[in-house]
Amino acid sequence: MARLSYRSAARVAAREMHSSRGKFFFVILSVAIGVAALTGVRGFSSSFRATLLTRARSIMAADVSARMFEQPTPEEQKGLDEIAASGVEITPVTELLSMASSAKTLDPLLVSLKAVDPAMYPFYGTVELAPVASLKSVLTADNVVVADDLLVRLHLKVGDELKIGNKLFHIASVVVNEPDRLSGNFAAGPRVFISREGLDASGLLAPGSRAGQRFLFKLPAPRDGSAMPDSAVAALRARLEKLLPEARVIDYRETNPALTQGLDRATSLLSLMSLVALVLGAIGVGMAMRAHLQQRLDTIAIMKSLGASSGQIMKIYLLQTLLLGLLGGVLGVALGVGVQMAFPRLLAGLLHMQTEIHLQGRTVLTGLSVGVLTTLLFTLPPLLDIRGVRPVLILRRAVEESDDPFVSAIFRKLRKNGAQIGAAILILAGLAAIAATLSDSTMVGGVFSLGLVSVLAVLLGASALVLTGLKWFLGRTRLSLPSVVRHGLANLYRPGNPSAALLAALGLGVMQIMTVYFVQQAVVRQLHITSAPNLPNVFLVDITPKEIDGVRALIKAQPSVTAPAEMLPVVSSRIVAIDGVAADQAKLKNFPKRMLQSISLTWTAGVPPGTSAVAGKWWQAGERSPVVAVNQRDAERLGVKVGSHITFAAQDSRFTATVVALTKADGQHAYSRAAFILPPATLAGLPVVWYGGVHADPARVGELQRALYRAYPTVTVINVAQALETVRSVMIQITYVIQFLAAFSIFAGIIILASSIAGTRYRRIKEVVVLKTLGATRRRIATIFSIEFAMLGLVAGVVGITSANVVARVLLHRMDVVFHWQWGWSTVALVGTAALTVATGWVASHRILGQKPLEVLREE
Amino acid sequence: MNATEASTAPMIEVEGLRKSIRNGARTVDILRGLDFAIPQGQFAAIMGASGSGKSTLLGLLAGLDTPSSGDVRLNGTAISYLPEDRLAQVRGKTIGFVFQSYQLIPTLTALENVLLPYELNAGETQNGLARARELLTSVGLGDRFGHYPVQLSGGEQQRVALARAFILRPPIVLADEPTGNLDSTNGEHVLELLLNLNRKEGTTLVLVTHDAVLAAYADRRITLRDGLIVSDEMHSDADVPAVME
Repeated sequence: MARLSYRSAARVAAREMHSSRGKFFFVILSVAIGVAALTGVRGFSSSFRATLLTRARSIMAADVSARMFEQPTPEEQKGLDEIAASGVEITPVTELLSMASSAKTLDPLLVSLKAVDPAMYPFYGTVELAPVASLKSVLTADNVVVADDLLVRLHLKVGDELKIGNKLFHIASVVVNEPDRLSGNFAAGPRVFISREGLDASGLLAPGSRAGQRFLFKLPAPRDGSAMPDSAVAALRARLEKLLPEARVIDYRETNPALTQGLDRATSLLSLMSLVALVLGAIGVGMAMRAHLQQRLDTIAIMKSLGASSGQIMKIYLLQTLLLGLLGGVLGVALGVGVQMAFPRLLAGLLHMQTEIHLQGRTVLTGLSVGVLTTLLFTLPPLLDIRGVRPVLILRRAVEESDDPFVSAIFRKLRKNGAQIGAAILILAGLAAIAATLSDSTMVGGVFSLGLVSVLAVLLGASALVLTGLKWFLGRTRLSLPSVVRHGLANLYRPGNPSAALLAALGLGVMQIMTVYFVQQAVVRQLHITSAPNLPNVFLVDITPKEIDGVRALIKAQPSVTAPAEMLPVVSSRIVAIDGVAADQAKLKNFPKRMLQSISLTWTAGVPPGTSAVAGKWWQAGERSPVVAVNQRDAERLGVKVGSHITFAAQDSRFTATVVALTKADGQHAYSRAAFILPPATLAGLPVVWYGGVHADPARVGELQRALYRAYPTVTVINVAQALETVRSVMIQITYVIQFLAAFSIFAGIIILASSIAGTRYRRIKEVVVLKTLGATRRRIATIFSIEFAMLGLVAGVVGITSANVVARVLLHRMDVVFHWQWGWSTVALVGTAALTVATGWVASHRILGQKPLEVLREE
Repeated sequence: MNATEASTAPMIEVEGLRKSIRNGARTVDILRGLDFAIPQGQFAAIMGASGSGKSTLLGLLAGLDTPSSGDVRLNGTAISYLPEDRLAQVRGKTIGFVFQSYQLIPTLTALENVLLPYELNAGETQNGLARARELLTSVGLGDRFGHYPVQLSGGEQQRVALARAFILRPPIVLADEPTGNLDSTNGEHVLELLLNLNRKEGTTLVLVTHDAVLAAYADRRITLRDGLIVSDEMHSDADVPAVME
């Protein structure tokens, strides 16, 4: 047998494509939509994530920060210089308490000084000033920038002078928003920004002064504009923890756990949507190629009768497939880039932020290769079927159509045909590999792949069961059913009808679409809870026990306060021993020993809002024995776990508490800053100071500040409204993007499913011709097919939606998000699926129904 | 029935019938102006070599295609330009069609296939059952009611198709090479059935065939060549082959 060269095969393949351009457009479109969704979703979410993460970093104003209480040793400084030489930017921030006074008031005021290099600080975010100006331009050696609280207390205004240490400074501006306020200490005293030269000139930094030093670090941004990988941040952090053992090193993710959790969930969800887009596209390709090859059976039989081998014919159609995949991939990438560029414009009204779109070569290449690969993978089974086409088919076609549509045919085929089994395994393995590569979350990739396999198995099993049951029912009720119903149901068993394949494709598509919907709905709901507008945005510091009731009453009476205040008592303490080891000999991990001397303890009966126990168990109300719940991160640093014993000293008393729980806080509530929580009885009788958090209308915080100052001048008010607004707005933006991208993926999925259904219309043409010849009206024919489609849609819908609920539950459980079975939406989706299949069938068959039968046959 | 006993009222009338199709840039004239009438009860055979336009003519007679010009009238009703649904109704009540490749609905049993025109055009299933069973029995398939087409041989399928064509007692039966896919024994059997139905029921029968033996049984032979009628002959009983007597 002569070898068929690739050139000849390509010529045959191209000639065939040229003669049926319309049909091939279907296949190309399926690939293109899948790749477009993949490229668009991934590309946009990557750019969006980069923008979001930049905003998230503004809460720390850096990627990583290291808090120290002493100057770095020469060796530590050398290490820092090496880090700087590698491209990491470093700037110091010095915080200390000092007294400040003005000529207008005699009493000095305790202020919270923050000395920065305005040319570098902040690395992320902006210090907003009033009047509007850049920090760099106003914070000279002779100027300071102050919180409006200071102006109220000292009866000063912008332009007046303020004495700090030995020097008189000019008040240049008011701080409206300090981006990293949430990550700093909530120390008493209004904020005052001072330059480093100013600090030196004030003479405040002398040996023995209790200044806290923070070093802020910024990694060099990736050149392609993508988000900084968390691995780079983690690597820098690890390096710093090793270099500065006495420093408290944290990265930006710790400053607001709720925000980073929201970002993580968004990442997972966006990964999921990319994968769903991929598989939906693949389904469209598989269905389209199957339908295409079905129509080529005569051609293939003729070629075989002329002497072509199965291998030669497969070569032709393999080349055709590659070309289709490539064309679809290129079109899809172009569409995806267009979508990526269009998203920010479409979302501009909602996002209120500029998302810089960076076209990443990697994303484009991924989309293209995925498009070709999935086309090849999903075309394998119908290509392998070519080997089974017998030349006699062209002679005895009408009699020989014995292609059993039952799912059992699939198993029969697999049993007979080892290559089909191999192809099936290859497809699943290929999809899993692609999923793992594409997914930014290995968890999502893993669950998705497993879910896919499980769902396919369930779908096939459920399809077999339903079809068998239906056949049994038909057999027993045949002639008693209305003829249209009988005919419509019987059509499910039409020889060559891809009922099983279509059921599996539809069911899988429905499952994926609904999984995206359920997961995004739950994540968005969680994000809304987390970014609820009534969370504390003003913190009160240093409220005495005598003042607490009065402060509560005052706050309650304030019209600007929109939610009850969260108050927590704080007892100053120190850690004396850990598990019997004296504090100065304890093995700590990046927990400065000096910090052991000033530990804040608080008490509460039950789990406070915004806090959860991640290990151990909370105590019952009325607990009298000394137990303690420790923040998880601090526990790691101190080397304690559930069951450890910590000895605290407060004033003259000393007690040892057993660690019964480790906690995690969302960073949004007053108690989020409490690292050590004990039951009330343990701290009874110890001197206490109260801290509080309230939610005030951001535009009216000044009102609250003035009211509090008048009644309780020693209480410090820390306004973090702006900073929290950043957090909240980031959360809201995440929700918009998630919903938008989910809707896009769902829409793309529906189109692909519709095209898969429409692709089966060829099978119906001949039947329509016969029915019309026998006198059937269009309405009758449409009714018969509607029943067939509706049944397909209902079966696929039930199986797909049930699977979606199960997969969503698993995914959300792993994301730590609550999920409830969605009865309402499941019902809507079920009806929607049936309606979609029926509507698509009508749309696809409309032309056939309206034209003369032989005209249609001729055009086909 | 012979030509002299046939009614003179035309059951089928064809006037100036033309059909052309576009094939890429070319226009192909399949039928180039046909005029004839077939009276009620006549058995007419349409003959011609391959490509002469006989199947196209049959399709136009059944309203399955639209002529480029001219018209077809069935039992007095002009059908060529009727709306599709109205045409379907006319077809259902007026024409029984027998395809060369049977064209049974593969998902319906033999009984259901025969019953289908009744359900589409006449009434409730239960009322047509007796007639459907009678017809299937009369074509020798009394024991195959519940069989699907895939379970029947070619000859059996064509007999089912015949029964389907006659269930509504249509005044006209059009058959496109009804024995083309059958062996000689089955072919003779099918022809016998057709002829019996033509004689007993008075059905006007139009048969497209290239088989001269088959055509010999017709009352009239219309021969096409290159889209035109080249001969239109009535014939006598003497032309009928001896084997059928």
